[in-house]
Amino acid sequence: MIEDLIFITQISIKSSVAVLLATVGGIITERSGVLNLGIEGMMLVGALAGFAAGHFTQSPMIAVAAGTLAGGLLSLVHAFFTIALRSNQVLSGLALTILGTGLANFLGRPLIGQTGVRIRQLPIPLLSDIPVIGEVFFNQSPFAYAAYLLVPLVWFALFRTRTGLVLRAVGEDARSADAAGVNVELTRALSVFVGGLFAGLAGTYLSLSYTPGWKETMTGGQGWIAIAMIIFCTWNPLLAFFGALLFGGLTALQFFFQATSMDLIPSYILKMLPYLLTIGVLVLVSASSRHRKSASPADLGVPFYREL
Amino acid sequence: MSAPVISLRGLSKRFGPVWANREVDLDLYSGRVHALLGENGAGKSTLMSILAGRYSADNGTVIRHGREVSFNSPAKALDHGVGMVYQRFMLIESMTVAENLALTVGKKYGRQDVDHEIRQTAEQYGLAVDPEKRIFELSMGERQRVEIIKLLMLDAEVLIFDEPTSVLTPPEVDALFVVIDRLRSEGKTIVLITHKLEEVLKLADDISIMRRGRLVISEPIEARQMSRQQLARLMVGRDVVLRVDKKEVAVGETVLALQGFSGDSHVGGPAFTDVTFEIKKGEIFSIIGVAGNGQAGLVSAIAGLTRAEAGTITFAGTTYTAREWGMAGAREIAYVPEDRYHSGSIASMSIADNFGLTRLQAYKTGFAGMLLDREKMAADGSRAIREHNIVVESGEDRAGTLSGGNLQKVILARELTRNAKLFIAEQPTQGLDISATEDIWRVLLECREKAGVLLVTGDLKEVLSLSDRIGVIFNGRLLEVIDAHDSDQVDRVGLLMAGVRS
Repeated sequence: MIEDLIFITQISIKSSVAVLLATVGGIITERSGVLNLGIEGMMLVGALAGFAAGHFTQSPMIAVAAGTLAGGLLSLVHAFFTIALRSNQVLSGLALTILGTGLANFLGRPLIGQTGVRIRQLPIPLLSDIPVIGEVFFNQSPFAYAAYLLVPLVWFALFRTRTGLVLRAVGEDARSADAAGVNVELTRALSVFVGGLFAGLAGTYLSLSYTPGWKETMTGGQGWIAIAMIIFCTWNPLLAFFGALLFGGLTALQFFFQATSMDLIPSYILKMLPYLLTIGVLVLVSASSRHRKSASPADLGVPFYREL
Repeated sequence: MSAPVISLRGLSKRFGPVWANREVDLDLYSGRVHALLGENGAGKSTLMSILAGRYSADNGTVIRHGREVSFNSPAKALDHGVGMVYQRFMLIESMTVAENLALTVGKKYGRQDVDHEIRQTAEQYGLAVDPEKRIFELSMGERQRVEIIKLLMLDAEVLIFDEPTSVLTPPEVDALFVVIDRLRSEGKTIVLITHKLEEVLKLADDISIMRRGRLVISEPIEARQMSRQQLARLMVGRDVVLRVDKKEVAVGETVLALQGFSGDSHVGGPAFTDVTFEIKKGEIFSIIGVAGNGQAGLVSAIAGLTRAEAGTITFAGTTYTAREWGMAGAREIAYVPEDRYHSGSIASMSIADNFGLTRLQAYKTGFAGMLLDREKMAADGSRAIREHNIVVESGEDRAGTLSGGNLQKVILARELTRNAKLFIAEQPTQGLDISATEDIWRVLLECREKAGVLLVTGDLKEVLSLSDRIGVIFNGRLLEVIDAHDSDQVDRVGLLMAGVRS
């Protein structure tokens, strides 16, 4: 029983890393007031670029760098359309997902079934020897450790530094931020780019570590889960950790039920749950904040125009 | 007097066909309060927004300490010591006072020093605020203090206040005046944009009056011992009242009667309290007041867009309580809202479609009335375009492409065809040029022959030209109802608008 529990928790964490990274990146982007529905596309392009770079160079470092950067570069398309041209953020984001998915599936066709580099679990000495906790948390891939560090780091940057203050100000009230002397366009463009880097890194994790190899549409909707998670955790990176873990847990349960041929909860229900919970949280958040603005950045999705 | 701190020379700014500012020259001196007076739309705020770097001028120069400068952003203007406290505060509501100030002044002070600096500045000028409070928790007066502290921490020398008292309660106004007085004695230059004469007489050293984008007067207040009446006259330009033919119309039955009508503002600004008046068929009843005195909330409650809290409303013989009224009324009242581009029309739809919008019942056809008779709509639209001198290419033009005056005529024409018993016109000529204004006035006078008209405006000239009776609203209360034909009484309207009852 305990064995099962440790197994499930370990798989939960494993399954949550990509969503966690993409969610944290999305939080950075949305906190600056830009909605990017292109996360799924950026993850997929990141996954392919990471796998391809690993396949050709056999260098894990280059693979990770390439995948991360690919996500960042694709996000610049969104930045250009929504910030420079002030087009509709929803449409641009959807287009980005369609573009990223199509591009990755097309370019990746020759790589299906090939082998690339693989980034394996790396037990941390001493820490991984702690009973239960060590096994669950510190016998993971380097991607998971990066996520452990990045989550509090992003929280600190957002809420305890001047850069974070500027970023949040732009997302809350771009006009007031502009009046305070902030460069709204530049801040938003950088936030979109950093969000893209995170999505790229998330995709790289999938193709190098979680399920090594390249398969068409291998993200399987995790980018959309991330978008739901951003709302679920009310734009707070620390809560994103729990949100992603919840998603990972549901995924791990699916594996567990499959492996043990138990079918307590149909897997379709498990797959549905993250979205249902997000809707539930949305209702709670908006009901408890009738007299206050919701947790959502007030200027999210609103293009910024300076009056002439 | 010493050399001016800032001079504006030949400043002009156009919004489309409208000159917001035209060839404006202005000098500002240190240690003095400069009042900038004028009606709504006279160009005061635009002029000062240019000085504060939010708008760029089309022509003209800004001279700072003898050197020509150009402010193309608020940040740049602040670098030169010019800052503005806008009517809509530039504060991020979900953040704390300290965070807001750190955002603006953070480059100058370390994050740790900001708190200390806030307290010091607050103390020096008597501007008490709690740095840890979030903006949405603060009263309007406190938010304003945050804005002032912001400018002071940036070492602003020129502080521009745009209608600073419009959102304040009377005690907050007194506190603000003390602060402004202290700023003046510290050698700061203060610009006070206002149309409240009381404030001018209490505080100003210099006075400038703008009318239709031009500066009519700019001089020290001692130059002529100006009384309130004279100021009001200069500001409104009573001598240029347009002449309109006002036919005698027999006054008919009471169309609308409010009794003790009170409510929340819903739409911003103060609530309205205990409003009582009636409008008869054949008359134009005007509610005049400075923007933000409760008239917006009152009108939207009468039009049935929001719900009032207390009192009764009698419309066409039936009495409703404040809560029963609502959609009951909206259907039978013709309403020309203040925001003609957003509430009055749908910019992306054609003129013909907009024309039919509030009268879709009239165009039912086919399939048990599920289809629209578009031909009839188009024909009616075209007829209205001809009858009202609306300058457009065709009825298929999108409403958003029309000029303000032409769009307003479309909306008026539409509401006229509803043959309603009550016609409400809210700021109908705001921002329009003289000829469009005249056309609209003619329509309103025509309208009074068939209905009762409620005109809500801040434009004294408009009220004097059109009204039969005038109600002055101040701080949410209808101070007095004056017969427009009684010229002695009418002279007091301007004072009543400023809340002076003498």
